[in-house]
Amino acid sequence: MPVPNGYDRGRPSRRQFLQRAAILAAGAPALGAFLAACSKPGPASSGPSLTIAKPDSPVKWPIADDNKPIGDNLPPERGATLKIYNYADYLSPQAIKQFEDRYGVKIEVSTFNDGDEAITKLRSGVDFDIYNANYTEISRLVTGGLVRPLNHSYLPNITNVWPSFTNPWYDQGWQYTVPYTIYTTGIGWRTDQVPADIGKLSNPYASLWDPAYKDKTAIIDDFHTAMAMVLLKEGITDVNTSSADDLKMVGEQLTALGKATSPKVTITMYSDMPAGQIGLCQMWSGDIINAQSYLPEGVGTEILQYWFPQDGKGLVDNDMLVTLKGGKNPVLAHLFLNHMLDPAVAKENFSAIGYQPPQNSITADTLVAEEFIPENLRSAIVKPEYFDTGYRLLELDTTNEDAWRNVWNAFNSGGS
Amino acid sequence: MSRSREPSNRLWTALAAPGIGWLLLFFLAPLYVVLAIVFGQRDPLFRTAVPVWNPLQWDPTQFNYVLRRIGPGGVYFPALARTVVYVGLASILCLCIAFPVAYYVSRLAGRWQGLLIALLIAPFWISYMMRMLAWVNLLQNDGLVNKILSFGGLFDVNVDWLTGQPVVVVLGLAYGYVPYMVLPLYAGLDRLSQSMLEASRDLGASRVSSFVRVTLPMCRPTMLAAVLLTCLPMLGDYFTNDLLSASPKTAMVGNLINDSVQAPGQTGQAGAFVMLVLVATVLPMIYYVRVTLRGDEVRT
Repeated sequence: MPVPNGYDRGRPSRRQFLQRAAILAAGAPALGAFLAACSKPGPASSGPSLTIAKPDSPVKWPIADDNKPIGDNLPPERGATLKIYNYADYLSPQAIKQFEDRYGVKIEVSTFNDGDEAITKLRSGVDFDIYNANYTEISRLVTGGLVRPLNHSYLPNITNVWPSFTNPWYDQGWQYTVPYTIYTTGIGWRTDQVPADIGKLSNPYASLWDPAYKDKTAIIDDFHTAMAMVLLKEGITDVNTSSADDLKMVGEQLTALGKATSPKVTITMYSDMPAGQIGLCQMWSGDIINAQSYLPEGVGTEILQYWFPQDGKGLVDNDMLVTLKGGKNPVLAHLFLNHMLDPAVAKENFSAIGYQPPQNSITADTLVAEEFIPENLRSAIVKPEYFDTGYRLLELDTTNEDAWRNVWNAFNSGGS
Repeated sequence: MSRSREPSNRLWTALAAPGIGWLLLFFLAPLYVVLAIVFGQRDPLFRTAVPVWNPLQWDPTQFNYVLRRIGPGGVYFPALARTVVYVGLASILCLCIAFPVAYYVSRLAGRWQGLLIALLIAPFWISYMMRMLAWVNLLQNDGLVNKILSFGGLFDVNVDWLTGQPVVVVLGLAYGYVPYMVLPLYAGLDRLSQSMLEASRDLGASRVSSFVRVTLPMCRPTMLAAVLLTCLPMLGDYFTNDLLSASPKTAMVGNLINDSVQAPGQTGQAGAFVMLVLVATVLPMIYYVRVTLRGDEVRT
């Protein structure tokens, strides 16, 4: 769950500021020279360019000479503390406990709110062993030398995952990554607040623009995910577009959205919807599954509904686990990755966090038959074929990302 | 005479030195870092901010981007205007609540004064975040507020308090910052010259006119200080809004800063907003300094 990072109340007095402003004015150049002397050599105006992996142009990342995989058959580090860097509520405590008991080690989980924050921290030289990455970051992680390549001999459980993930387009030959979770992005709603069957509408995305649901809606607080939904609503399937016209249209649509329903911009749908604050929202499939456990007592899970186009033509996504170059326990890190690929552990983890692992043993039918997921949320189950037809949010190049973010920031400031 | 004063002057300078050092190290230097980031470069790979220390190499692109969009009609104007309105309303509300409380505690509480002061400090024992989260619980759709309003199910009340209601954000701000208003007001009112008040009554002023013509004017610097003390942190607040609304409809400048500081490559824009807030707060500060200086002159 994202919690704003602390709250800064202390401020130096402005009164002193006034009195000392002159000193600053006089001393600024000297201070600058001083700081420049302390800093690393000059700002990098040019540097390594990014290779961007796409489903139709898969990438096999290089392995640097100073960053080789660990050797075979090394013993796990003894009495160590394995450090994991992950989203909050995104790893089952029981899976952690099992691993700790099995290898006699301690696991320390640190959390972040979003990938941007995480990468900034990873660059500062922390010694985390494992990181929960997304493929939109992989080029930066590899090019920046932050991840450690995998030694496959420690990861026999890879055979349990869908074959497409053993040679993914974002990491050919899975040299750096193992898959962790898969999810779709669709629309979730509560039947007690939204009488219409959203999934049956001709354009379910458009329901978020329906003034009937004013003050009851939300969209995902991620510029790319939210703006891609606007593109899909308008029938544009290039969710990584660099067309200025498309982005202008998205900006206008977002303004219209704000006027029509005034949505919350958040990623806490999984608790806000069960609490009744949100009746209809853009949602990740894992969050609607997770939402069941947040419903107040006496409210049945049948009120929760989720829509994702059944032909798979929507946003599909996956997260993965990587081992970090700065970690001090590379063997344990490999063993932990293998642990999470174990079918029983993966399934228990699924029940704890709501996000499905791409395990061969888990199918839509078994999940419903075992009453793991109620029939009304069958649409939230991710199927392998979605990854053939679905749309992927890819890493954007610098100029394009700036253009996207500027549209998003304008929306977030309340629109004009 | 003058010889004896010199060493004591030097002593005071020496005593002030740690404070000045502190200010240089933890205020002016960070401020310069902010400037170096606003006008700095970006790491081409990770898009994090790369500060440029030499002012001659500063690049104003990001600063100008923000500057061009803050005027009426610009995309950031609504959030900035909203900030002024919300902070203004919340400050007035704080003053209306805090002044009578502070006045009572400082002048009329008698033997209860100690206890009341302790109670006024009590909110500081609980973190601001916890106090806001408590409101989230109370204001939920099935929360206590809606339950009370429905008089036990008599009326069908289903107010969506937490989805972008400006009034909730303003009340949240007022609730959050009232303690910061009460304490300085109390300190000021406590020191109010009793003889002045007695003189005004002796000279025939009624209770009301004595309050309006003597107490209030004497309190003005105190009130100004109290308002400033609460206004300044409110201007940078993003957190109350995030918890109680999370809707762009109620976004304040603090949210703009928070949003852009977390977006890679846009730290410069965040810095630009910080500079704007700084400039906006320096102006009332100048006024405050002038008023207090004038106050000193009058007294001496």
